[in-house]
Order: sequence, then structure tokens, then C-alpha cells
Amino acid sequence: MARADHTVESDAAPVPGLSATRSTIREWLAGVGFALPYLLVAGAFLFGPLLLGLYMSFYDWNAVFPAQSEFIGLENYRTLINDPRFWNALFNTVYFVVLTVPTIVVCSLLLALGVNREVKGRWLLRTIFFSPYVLTVAVIGLLWEDLFNANGLIPYHFGTEGWLTSPELAMPAVAIATVWWTLAFNFVILLAARQNVPDRLYEAAKLDGASSWRMMIDVTVPQMKNPLIFVIITTFVGSFQVFGQPFIMTQGGPSFSTTTVVMYLYNTAFSTGDFGYAAAVGYVLFMILIVVSATNFYVLGGDDS
Amino acid sequence: MSTRTESLLDGTDLSVEQARSIAVHAALYGAAALFVLPYLWMFATSIKPREQIYSSVPHLLPSGVTFQWYRQLLANSEIVGWTVNTVILAGSTTIAVLIVDAMIAYSLTRLEWPGRRVVFSVIVASFMVPGIINLVPVFMIVSELGLVNNLLGVVLPSVANPLGVFMLYQFFRDIPDELEEAARLDGFSRIRIFTHITLPLMRSALAALGLFIFIWTWNAFLWPLVILQDSAMYTLPIGLVTVQDTMGVTEPGIVMASAVIASVPLLLLFLVLQRHLVKAVEMQGSVG
Repeated sequence: MARADHTVESDAAPVPGLSATRSTIREWLAGVGFALPYLLVAGAFLFGPLLLGLYMSFYDWNAVFPAQSEFIGLENYRTLINDPRFWNALFNTVYFVVLTVPTIVVCSLLLALGVNREVKGRWLLRTIFFSPYVLTVAVIGLLWEDLFNANGLIPYHFGTEGWLTSPELAMPAVAIATVWWTLAFNFVILLAARQNVPDRLYEAAKLDGASSWRMMIDVTVPQMKNPLIFVIITTFVGSFQVFGQPFIMTQGGPSFSTTTVVMYLYNTAFSTGDFGYAAAVGYVLFMILIVVSATNFYVLGGDDS
Repeated sequence: MSTRTESLLDGTDLSVEQARSIAVHAALYGAAALFVLPYLWMFATSIKPREQIYSSVPHLLPSGVTFQWYRQLLANSEIVGWTVNTVILAGSTTIAVLIVDAMIAYSLTRLEWPGRRVVFSVIVASFMVPGIINLVPVFMIVSELGLVNNLLGVVLPSVANPLGVFMLYQFFRDIPDELEEAARLDGFSRIRIFTHITLPLMRSALAALGLFIFIWTWNAFLWPLVILQDSAMYTLPIGLVTVQDTMGVTEPGIVMASAVIASVPLLLLFLVLQRHLVKAVEMQGSVG
């Protein structure tokens, strides 16, 4: 085969256009061929569903006989606006976001800056702070449920009864477990970002007599701006989608005080079986996430790269 | 050593520096202790005798060692099957993602074809789409395919991984293509160049991505929870959560034993291959 191709090409050499077209077409075919498996799977399970979900959200979807679903226009979205359970879930989620995002971002930054210094046992510290990253949310949920339980370690020292049965303390308990679990990812990214800041910037600042606080504000933070924005946005997006921790630790209770938007979506779809409405909840959450990410990006002044 | 003696002799400057260093060490090791505490609790509770678990004063360290919780767990739950399912799921997803993502990343960086720039932008944009929006429609599709309660129904939706494409894209772009050029002149086919030259050059990037995907899938919760409905099909994360229900009793010792079984393989993997995992996470940071 290969030899035959060579002779064809050398025959065609005097007419450059012809061989160029042939090899170009072959290159196109190879390119599309290599891309095809991904494009097919992404079409079926990523992009297709994005449209299907929008479509479903306009229907009173019949989970058993999809063909018998009834088109109801924007009715699902109208119901959602007047649905106190949705607003409660959204409120709880925002509360969770407020508890977790600043804590995670500030703590991971402090730990990263600390480990970046000349400390003894740096490898050990980095390993410890990074390790929760490899745990499943099931372990996080069960472990912290036990720690926060009525006869667990934490209520024995802090508070009175079990945190998870208290409407005031249940969400903070879920937030603490989440901070312990998700700090790791941001910590690693910020540590790498800090190590990429050139030392000469600090030497120059030191020569100018800058205090370490001023160096942090004038050198560290501006130099780490893009990684910081990345960390803030991904933490926001992640916290808005919280599901496993409350699902395992509290089942959304007590009295729905820890039911989040994704839990509500899950219950609507798989307990109530209202797929059209659940798809609408998903799309509204999507819109919220886009607005939150764009606002973050704009407020924090991310560059256009 | 010499700087230390100097600082003792002259100047307060270095002792301020020393005080700060002590404070930093104290803060970091204090934080590390808080991080270690939950692990200690998990391991200790899984080997504590019953009376210690139910005592009104919590014990951080076990007074004696018992393996009764592990024995009960192995005897009365399907944890062995769950472990097998988890290994199959994580292994097959990792292999599928590596093949499919490496192929398209190769195509996007090395081959010229119309529309490839658009395709790449769409993939980068899809990185921003949170998976949760697709929960209901993907479930519909998987159930139409008859893959509910089938591991394949968990694997397929995870194969198209935009993050993986992006990571490999950056790596392919940074490898000089002289070797491939030479191979092409020697009449190697595209597929041979890909499998014999490009992929071997990419070993470290593939290892980092593979480890990341393996851990990610091992730990996946929401999607397996939706798709796997029969307890024999569960993965470890789903099985763990149901241990209490299926065994009919709440035994913290058994629950913590199951948590240990689900975490120890990954913690060991993590200790050995931490470098690769750090790399995979750092690569994600460079997306931003």
C-alpha cells in the first residue's frame, strides 16, 4: 500500500495541486477519524442532553411513557418561582456557599503560603493537607456524621447535643466537613502558583523596605491573581452544587434546613418522578452558576486570556 | 548553624525572624493535627471494643484492639462485590477516557482539518458546564439504552472528559513534532505514529491524567447512586452509605470499618503516586 502511494505521489509531482489535494483530504479524514470517538460520546452524553434537558423542562414529562408527555410551555418555570421548597433549598445553598467559599479560599491560601516557607517537614505537611482529596464523599459524610453525632467527639467538646439534629448547627457541621474535604484541591493549586512567583520580586520589595504584609498585598496577591480567580470561581461553582455531604449526613434535615438545590433536584426527579420539573430546576441552577461565575470574573477583574 | 550563632550574638532582627518561624511552625502543625484527627477517629473507631464506642466519654485512642467490626462487615454485607465493581468501574473508565481523550487531543494539535478550532473552543466551553444540569436528561438517555443498573451506564457518560482533552492538548502542543515528521517521511501511518511515537512520549501526562480519572471514578457518588439500583451492582461509595440500612443496625464500628476499606487503597495509591496527582491538579489550575 505505502509503496503504491509513493509512486502515485511521485507521478503526480509535476502537478502539485493534485497531490496536495489528495494528502489534504487524507489529513482531514485522519483528523476527523481521531476526533470522532470523543465527538460521538460527547454528543450523546454531554451536548445532546443539554438540549434534551431544555426540551424536557417545557413538558409535563411522563417518565414511563415519554411519548405521552404533555407540552406545557413555561409552566414548570412558573411553578418553580412560586415553589417555597425551591426557595428554601436555594436559601440553604446560598447559606452553605457563604459559610464555605470564603473559609476554603482563605484557609487554603494561608496553608499554601505557610508550606511555601522554609518549614521543617514540608513534604509531610503537604501530604497531610492534600490527602482528603482522595477520599470519597461517602467516607466524608459517614466519618463526620459520626464525629458530629450526639455521642461523637465534637459535641462532647463543643456545644451540647448532636449538631446534625439541630436546625442551627446542622449546616455549619456540613460546612466544616466540606472545608476539611475540599481545601486540598485549592491548596495544591495555590502552592504551585506561589512557587511560580519569581523570588527577585520579593528581593526588590525587601530592598524598598516593604513589610511582609505589604509584600503580600503588593507582590503575592497580584502575582497570583489568575490562580486565585480560578480557585474562587471553582469553589463557588462546587459549593453551589453540594449534594453528597448533606444527603449522607442529614438527609436534608432537620426540618429541611440542609436541603440544597441539587438535593431538591434529585428528590424531584428520583423520588417524586417529576422529570420535567427537575430539568427546569437544573436549568435555573445553570443560569445562576453562569451569573455567579461571570460576576466573580468581572468583579475580581480577571484578564481576558 | 553559623547564622543561628550570629543571631544570638547581635541584633534583634533575626530573633524576630525566629519568632515568626516558630509561629508559622506552630500554626501549620496545629492545622495538620486538626487534619489528622478525623483519620485517627476513623481508624480508631473501626478497631475499638464495643463498650468504648458506646461510652458517654468519646475515646480518641482505642483501649484494646478488636477486629469484630471488620468480621461482621465481611460476613454480612456485599462489600467484596462492591470493591470488585468499583475496581472494574474505575479501571474501565480510566482506560476509555485515556484512549478517547488522547485521540482527539492528538487530532486537535497535530492534524489539520476544517473546524478543529471550533471543536476545541466548544470543548473548552463545555468544561464550564456543571454535570448536574445533565442529571435528568442523561438518565433518560441511559434508561432508553437499557443501561440502568449496569456499570456501562456509569462508564459511558463519563468518557467524554473535557478536562482530560484540555490537559493532553497542552502537553501534545509542547512536544516538538520532529520525531513524528521523520516517521511520516518514512511512510508510517497516522495510527502507527500515534501509538508508537506520540503516546510513549506522553507517558507522564497520561499517568497523571489516568491517576486523576481513576480516583475521581472510584469516588464518584451521585451518578452511580442514580444508575446502580440493585445492591449487588453498587460501588463502594454507594454501598457504604447503605451499610447501616442493609444490616439493620447502626454500628459505628462497622460503618467506620467500611470507610477504612473504601479509603485505604486510595490513600496508599496517593502516598506512592502523589507527585502525579499534584501534577494533574496543577494542570487544572492552568486552565484558568
